[in-house]
Formats: sequence, C-alpha cells, structure tokens
Amino acid sequence: MKKVLAMVLLVLVMVPVLFAAGKAEAKSNYEIVVVPKDASNPWFVRMKVGVDEFAKGTHHTVYQRGTPDIDATLQAQLVQDLIAQGVDALCVVPVDLESIEPVLAQARKAGIVVITHEGADLENVDYDIEAFSNVGYGAFIMDNLAEAMGGEGVYTTMVASLTNGSHNEWADAGVAHQKANYPKMTLLAAEKRVESFDNGDVAYNVAKELFKKYPNLKGIMGTSSYDAPGVARAIEELGLIDKAFTSGTGMPLDNAALLESGIVKSLTLWDPALAGQAMIALAIKVLDGEKISGVVDLGVDGYTALQFKEGSKTVLEGEGWIVINKDNVYDFGF
Amino acid sequence: MKNRLKKLTSRNEPYIFLVLLAVCILIEIRSGQFFSPNNLVDIASAMIVPGLMAIGAFMVIVSGGIDVSFPALASLSFYATTKLLLDHNYQGGVVLPFLIAIGFGALLGAFNGLFISYFKLPTLIVTLGSSSVFKGLMQGALNSRQLAVIPTGMREWGKKALFVAKNPVSGLTSRMPVAFLVFLFALVFAFFLLRFTMFGRGIYAIGGSEVSAERAGFRVVLTKFLLYIMVGMIASVAGLIRVCMMQQAHPTNMLGMEMNIIAGVVLGGTAITGGRGTLLGCMLGTLLIVIVENSLILIGIPTSWKSVFTGALIIIGTGVSAYQVMHQGKTRSSKGKKQEVAQ
Repeated sequence: MKKVLAMVLLVLVMVPVLFAAGKAEAKSNYEIVVVPKDASNPWFVRMKVGVDEFAKGTHHTVYQRGTPDIDATLQAQLVQDLIAQGVDALCVVPVDLESIEPVLAQARKAGIVVITHEGADLENVDYDIEAFSNVGYGAFIMDNLAEAMGGEGVYTTMVASLTNGSHNEWADAGVAHQKANYPKMTLLAAEKRVESFDNGDVAYNVAKELFKKYPNLKGIMGTSSYDAPGVARAIEELGLIDKAFTSGTGMPLDNAALLESGIVKSLTLWDPALAGQAMIALAIKVLDGEKISGVVDLGVDGYTALQFKEGSKTVLEGEGWIVINKDNVYDFGF
Repeated sequence: MKNRLKKLTSRNEPYIFLVLLAVCILIEIRSGQFFSPNNLVDIASAMIVPGLMAIGAFMVIVSGGIDVSFPALASLSFYATTKLLLDHNYQGGVVLPFLIAIGFGALLGAFNGLFISYFKLPTLIVTLGSSSVFKGLMQGALNSRQLAVIPTGMREWGKKALFVAKNPVSGLTSRMPVAFLVFLFALVFAFFLLRFTMFGRGIYAIGGSEVSAERAGFRVVLTKFLLYIMVGMIASVAGLIRVCMMQQAHPTNMLGMEMNIIAGVVLGGTAITGGRGTLLGCMLGTLLIVIVENSLILIGIPTSWKSVFTGALIIIGTGVSAYQVMHQGKTRSSKGKKQEVAQ
C-alpha cells in the first residue's frame, strides 16, 4: 500500500501568485515548517519544489526540512527540535504513525498547529489532508480509460490481489462510475477482476491470456503501479497498439518510454508538490482562525473543494489526482 | 517388446506426458486457442526462466538436497549486475552483463557450497539461511528498489525475437525471444554433463548414498562444491534473462517462485530423497506447471479459485510421482536387482 501511496503526480504551480495577493494583508508573519519522510527521496524532493514555490509567493516564513534517511526516530527528534524553536505550524508526512503520535501531542500542547498528509489515522492533529478519496480516484482512472477507449467497448479490472483494500475500492468505484457515465462500455462478465500480485510479469502474462481468450476485450483498468506497464508490454507484443488500452497508477520516469511510444496514452498519480502546498495553505487558514467546515478551498490545484471524510472531523479529502502523459512526463523529477 | 513396455510403464515420464496432453486438450476445448501459433510461442517464452531454474533445482535434488535459495541468489546477482552497469552508464551489448551476473552467481553459489560441502550442513537449512542473507544484502547494502530503466544493450536483447508467430484468425502476434536459445543450450549442456561425465555420475551417486559414493572413489566434497557454484551460475543467468525480458529489474518479484519450481521437478518424477530422476521428466513437470499457470484464464477458472486449482494439481501430480518412485523402489529391492541409476 505504501508503495502505491508513494507514487506520484504532477503539477502546475500557478497558485503562489494567487496567494501572494491574497495573503498580503494578513496580520502576522508565521513560521511554517514542512517535515517530509526524508530529504532525498525524489517524491519529497518534488514536494520541496512546491514548498519553495509557495515560500516565494508569501510573506510568511515557509520551508521544508527533512532527515537524511527515512527513519521514524530521526523524524520524531526533528519535530521535537522544531517544537523547541517555537514554530507556528508543523506540516508532517509521518514515517510511522505510532512513534510520531506522542510528539505531535507535545506540539499541540505547545500551541503549534499540526497538519499531516498520509496520516489519516492520527489523533493528535488539527487536520490531515489526503490527496483524494478512494471512490474519487477510482472514477478518475475510469475516466482516463474511457477516454482512451473512446467511451465504448468491453473492459475488465486488474488489482494486485482480491484482498487488497484500496485497489478493490478503486476498481469498484471505477466500475460504478462506468455504469453511471459510459453506457456503451461493458464489464467483461466472465472475468470481472484479475490479479497481478504487484508483479509486472504476472500482469503481462494475465493480459496476454485475456486478449487471447476474449478477442473483443478492448481495455484493462489497472490499479497497482505494476498493472498498466505490464499490460502495455502485452499490448505491444500482441500487436494491439491503438486497438487495446490500459490505464492505472504509474510513476512518471519509470514509464517515460511507454508513454512516449504511445502504447499507454496516460497514467494517473498525485503530485507531492501540490500536497505540500495544500498543507501550508491549510495551516495558514487555521492560524488565521478561519473556521474549517463544509467544503474547503485552499486555492491549490486539486485542493479547491476538500471535503471531510465520512465520519471524520480531521481528515480532509481532495481531488489532487493528475494525469501523466508524454507531454509532462519529465516535469516531476521522479 | 513386453519388457520394454513394462519398463516404460514403470517410469514416470509417460504419465506426466499423458497428463500434459490432457491439460492441453482441455485448454484447447475450453478456449480454442491452445494450439494457435502465438499461444505455443507464449508458452515457450514463459518456460525460459522457470526451465533454467528447474535445471539447477533438479541437479541439487538429484544430489540429495533441497535448495530454496536460488530465487534470492538470482535476484541479488541480477540486481547487483544491473545496478553496477547503470552506475557506470554502460552502453555496450549483453555479453558483459551476463559475464558479470555469472560471476556473482558463482560467488554466491560458492557461499552455499562452502557450508553444504565442507561443513556438511543440510542443504535446506543452509539455503533457508542464505536466502535471507541474500535478500538482506540486497535490501541493506544495495538499498534495492525497482530499476525501471535498464542498460540499453540488455533492453534491446530482451526484445529481440528469433521469429514472430502470428495467429491467422485473431491477428495477435507473439515474439519468440532470443533468450530461448540460452535455455536450450543450458538444457543440452546439463544433459551431457549428467549423462557422460564423472562429475554428472557423481551427482547421482552422491544422491543415492553419500557414503557409497565416497567409497567408490567419487570426490564428494569437491563435486558438491562445484555443483552449487554451477547452480548459482545457472540461476543468475535465468535472473538476468528475466530482467531483459521484463525490461526492468525488480528486486523482489522472483522471490517465492522456488516452491513451484521444486514442485515441477518432483512432479517430473525426480526422487525428493535424491539419486534418481531424469532431465526429461523434470522438464515435462516444469512445463506442466508453466502451462497451467499461464492458462487458467483460457480454461475459464475464476481468479478467486486460481490458487486452489494450481495447488490441487501439485498435490495430485507429485503424489502420483512419489507413489511411482516408492513403488519402483520396492519392486527393485524385492527382486534383489542391482540398484540402477535411472537416467
């Protein structure tokens, strides 16, 4: 699951400009620190790009500080140091939920605003931001597949395993979305869901079998980051380019060759740079004493209509997914 | 003639062959696709990596041990090879990568061989430990993650086709990878080694009885040591071929495949206690597993029942083989015949 979460997305960073104007008359100057899982992982290097952009467009002191390695203990120490420095807000992407929890409690006791990302189960936070809801993301992957398939034809779904929680939620949501919006598409009745075991080779072999057995199969909705690249290999080898299509999650650089050759039209992901900016924007709102309720607009792409997760008072879900295609595949640095 | 028939029915290969044929016909009836040219090529190409692995696993089992470390060994050596070449921005052909991988494989195989032959520790225990060590080295020292981009030479070689098979009806095409030649070469090499060299006969003799082999003059320690080096080399070649074919190096994808490989070897009539078994049977058994694994959708087995079906096949198949081998042993000793080494 981590692996999937750790995948990425893309960005257009025009937001800081808006913020520069909007924040100009804020009363005080806040110090807001973003603490990622580590400083060297390309995912968080990308997050820093977003944070730095944000810093340029605001009069608040905003910066990102990470530990050299992914290490829960080091991250907890870093957060404690920042508490001692008396910063105004902490935006944390936790390495380990359990070990960060008591430290975040200390921070809140010290009057620091705590915002997290990918930490939906944390208790000692003001708010946690998730890039999207599982239902929303599933529908988004389906939109992507439907676009490639021209909105018609037979398709099936692929998950890492039938017991994987979020993959199956994405696939279910994708199918529901198709039924509601793409009447000319049909789910392959004989094989509604196949497994790839998070293994590109399995995805490849399964896809070959599916295309052989069901000649009218036109699309495979992938979920794990191994699905679409594996299916793409099968499409290419079987000579089905532009006749069969796939979609799913994928890291940009890993799939650059596939996207450029046109075997895969587009993949989906979320952009850590935007997630970083959303955390800061929310922190400023909270520090300004704004009431966070209903639909929240942070002025960051994909985070303009955040909604509380059902049954939760702290977890906000956005629509922070992005499409990666041959035009933007090199924009992210990972 | 009667004798011949009797000899044939007392062996395992004919049964496996019949089962194999039955499975193929079943798939053909259910899908109408099995005997299409592109499907046969798909099966052959899916056979390359498990086939190579099975050759190594087979020789170890014949020598009386069970090696469970070969996927981890292969993963470590292909990962180290690919990473090394990427770090040096290697632009050349595929020969150097193979030489490096074979080198790593020999080294890691020697590590296994050292403990198994010189310290006389049980193979299963040693390889359980060494597979953890190999995995740990990969994750710790090499900080492994998926390498989505592999050196150009390896990528191109992996896509190179001996020929392309086309299904005349559906128009689907499949590539027969050049790597298939490597598999054939390894197969022929292993066949001659096991049948015509003292080293090969030694492996059978050791599997039959280590003490007798020693008395008969085989250099048991050296033979076993060399055997594990060779198995390491074969596994590494298989690993690197898989990387080339998949166009990416994933450090953990191969782990766990040892069970199906060993099952295939035993399915082919190799005595799990060592000393008896044929390369032909081993290949038939492996082929059966590969075909079944890659045809469940063609047969129309629902995804949720997939593992039940494969599991049942392994139990039934190996059960028949084991029974056959046991039965064979009994009739032999009851007749007081000289114990022959089946080949």
